[in-house]
Amino acid sequence: MGSHRLGGATLFALSARQVTKRFPGVLANDRVDFDLLPGEVHTLLGENGAGKSTLASVLCGLYKPDEGAVLRNGTQVRLTSPRHGLQNGIAMVHQHFRLVDRFTVAENVVLGHRSLPFVLRNSDLEDQVAEVAERFGLPLDPRATVGDLSAGQRQRVEIVKALYQGAEILLLDEPTALLAPPEVEKLFETVRAMTQAGKSVVFVSHKLGEVVDISDRVTVMRDGRVTGSVARGEADTRKLAELMVGRDIDLSPRRSRAAAQETLLYLDNVGLTKDGIERIANVSFSVRAGEIVGIAGVSGNGQRELAEIVAGLQAPTSGEISINGSRVNGIGTRNVRKAGLAYVPEDRLGTGLAPSLSIVDNLVLTRDRGFLVDRKSALIEAEAFIKQLEIKTPHAHTATRKLSGGNSQKVLLAREIFATGGNSRVLVVCSPTRGLDVGAVEAVHKLLDEARSAGKAVLLISEDLDEVLTLADKVLVLYRGAVVHEASGNEVDVEAVGLAMAGLS
Amino acid sequence: MIIGNMRIELEPRLSSPKWLYLAVPAGSLVFAFLVGGIFLSLTGHSPISTYSSLISHGYTSTKGLTNTLGLATPLICTGLAAAFAFRMNLFNIGEEGQMYLGMIGSAWAGIALAGHLPHVLAVPTVLVVGALAGALWVLLPAILRAKLGTSEIVSTLLLNYVALNLVNYFIYGSRGFFRDPSTSFPQGRGVEATARFHSFGNSNAYPTVIIAVLLAVGLYWFMKRSNFGYETSVFADSPNTARYAGMNSTRLTLSVLLISGALAGLAGAMYVVGPAGKVDPGLLQIGLGYAGIVVAALARYNFVAVIVTAILFAGLRVGGASLQISSNPVPIAIAVVLQGSVLLFALGGEIFRRNRLRIRRVEQARVAS
Repeated sequence: MGSHRLGGATLFALSARQVTKRFPGVLANDRVDFDLLPGEVHTLLGENGAGKSTLASVLCGLYKPDEGAVLRNGTQVRLTSPRHGLQNGIAMVHQHFRLVDRFTVAENVVLGHRSLPFVLRNSDLEDQVAEVAERFGLPLDPRATVGDLSAGQRQRVEIVKALYQGAEILLLDEPTALLAPPEVEKLFETVRAMTQAGKSVVFVSHKLGEVVDISDRVTVMRDGRVTGSVARGEADTRKLAELMVGRDIDLSPRRSRAAAQETLLYLDNVGLTKDGIERIANVSFSVRAGEIVGIAGVSGNGQRELAEIVAGLQAPTSGEISINGSRVNGIGTRNVRKAGLAYVPEDRLGTGLAPSLSIVDNLVLTRDRGFLVDRKSALIEAEAFIKQLEIKTPHAHTATRKLSGGNSQKVLLAREIFATGGNSRVLVVCSPTRGLDVGAVEAVHKLLDEARSAGKAVLLISEDLDEVLTLADKVLVLYRGAVVHEASGNEVDVEAVGLAMAGLS
Repeated sequence: MIIGNMRIELEPRLSSPKWLYLAVPAGSLVFAFLVGGIFLSLTGHSPISTYSSLISHGYTSTKGLTNTLGLATPLICTGLAAAFAFRMNLFNIGEEGQMYLGMIGSAWAGIALAGHLPHVLAVPTVLVVGALAGALWVLLPAILRAKLGTSEIVSTLLLNYVALNLVNYFIYGSRGFFRDPSTSFPQGRGVEATARFHSFGNSNAYPTVIIAVLLAVGLYWFMKRSNFGYETSVFADSPNTARYAGMNSTRLTLSVLLISGALAGLAGAMYVVGPAGKVDPGLLQIGLGYAGIVVAALARYNFVAVIVTAILFAGLRVGGASLQISSNPVPIAIAVVLQGSVLLFALGGEIFRRNRLRIRRVEQARVAS
């Protein structure tokens, strides 16, 4: 095929023309068109399974399209591998980094570069790497070992690696998933530096909020097709959400509508020291009936430990916890449940649910079962939940791992909120919408809001700050196991919370 | 794989239709017999007459069938033992040794206790003591596994050799309790007559086969319906989920391994109340414990299917052995080749249950690249 010139003078840096890609049982990309201008920041927005990562993988050479073509500067290219993509100046930074932990930054950056001399001179390489990093405002020590770096720093290594190898077009898959707000800001600065140097950046994302700020253009995908492509300022988040989901979505803040009542969950100076390291430091707070208390923080700052302490899976080494007025320290998770606790862990499919077991069997998990398991009543319950919460499943005996993330989360929430009469009055929920679609996020938020209205005390522990701000009546920030910031949900200073999350308050 | 201008690909199935669960094992069996047929032809035997003789001696004649059921009885128990442990992702490789201990324990009960018991209690007591002895033999590996996480594969396997030498010692190495004092020929002391079942008619099948079948069906029901079965399936699927729900993993691991050991011990006890009537080193030669692992794997760890695979396997043994004494004797190795091929094809056949075979023209594939 010859060269294409579309729209007269405009020459696109990278285009997809009618790209179709099939996987067994799935049409991942259905005649997709996509155009990227030089110097543009272009976001590919869509829910999980919308086909955006597939398209990105086709564009970078990881997948070959079944039909259609990829054009670089108006000329068709048949990319056979990511290396071939890189030779054409296209690089992708994956969500899960592909770095060697035991190598230094410089070694990782030059890894796989074909034109290296036989004998490496580390100082030369380090200088080159540092030079590239500095040009794009990416502070990095080329001699640091990658295993010691934070998620944000590792991402910088990946970006420097792409730039070092001559990338003109950078595809970033869910780049902000692991970053704290200040790190996101830093990433955006780098992206601006790159576009000023004439390079193009594609963001692959399912997060609505952040894409609007940085993108020159947003292309929205749903069910393998492009549903719209809008330039900056042409659409607000609500409109984009509608393009993503195919219906109107309400993600506005939800707050308690009634005055909170008696205290149901109370932590008094709770601490946990494990292997000589203080994981939780003197945490005190209370959650009252009819309110949601949100705990924000970057992953790994004690969220998991805090949740497990409250749920009775770990005993605190100091302090007191009470549920419904009775002390529950170290009585074991079954007894804590009897005292009125329900717990939705962060890892829904590997902890909250048994993945190969059916919906019915997962509903009896937290019941008192006796000698024989009563699956009859569980089946009735399961069918009621499936109908009521619109859980998409072939039937109640389907294994939970076969459900989508949103539907398995609905099963878990249904069990913890409503199962066997919904007697638990304290609900601990961890990152309930991580990795979920916008539509599922809305459903989960609605469920949590209903639990609050029903008079439950809800403790929401989430790494997604937007989620905490959307739902919580009170916001606490957890940093290195301690509560470093506290604010009422209606008067949150977002910047202060962001700084507190990064440990800068 | 590319042959000519065709490309053969395996494509994962999104769901396996039910008939495949029967068709794949049946197909494996056919292929195994085809491979065995090649070996037979190469050694100058007619596959058709050999197989018809095998089937007659193993399954269809009255004598063949009862011999097969007799051999299948302990094999069902060792198969259940392996399948039971595997239900919780535990690999008990020690059925062989646990079975020997079951033989020793039940022989002790048959000699020392049976005489003091009413008639109807004698056999059940002997069986129970045999099962307890099997459970005892797995106690140490079970504790090590539950408390310290030591691999039960290695510890149960190594105890097989200890059990083997224990039996040899009791019969050949010492003149103790288990050795027949009335003769200088080394053989086991016989249990009380009340501690033994009579065989059906003049055959080699004993009422224990009914116990074994009922046990398989009972276990199937118990593990499907009981809280214990439920907790093991949660634990096997996701230990984190079991911990989340407050299940006691130490208790579960211990119980599952002990029950597995008891089932293997029962195999040895059934040998005593049935054909042997004493501690009989003959049991050491036939490897029913190891065969139980194979039987369980072929049954895909389904307790009821264990009945079928145990009978299939026992028939191959019985029929294969009888081929040696025909007019054109077929070496026993051929029967072993058949057993091996059945296992190999059954496990290999899993690929076709999980995947679909697709044949594409290469032309089309080139365009995509």
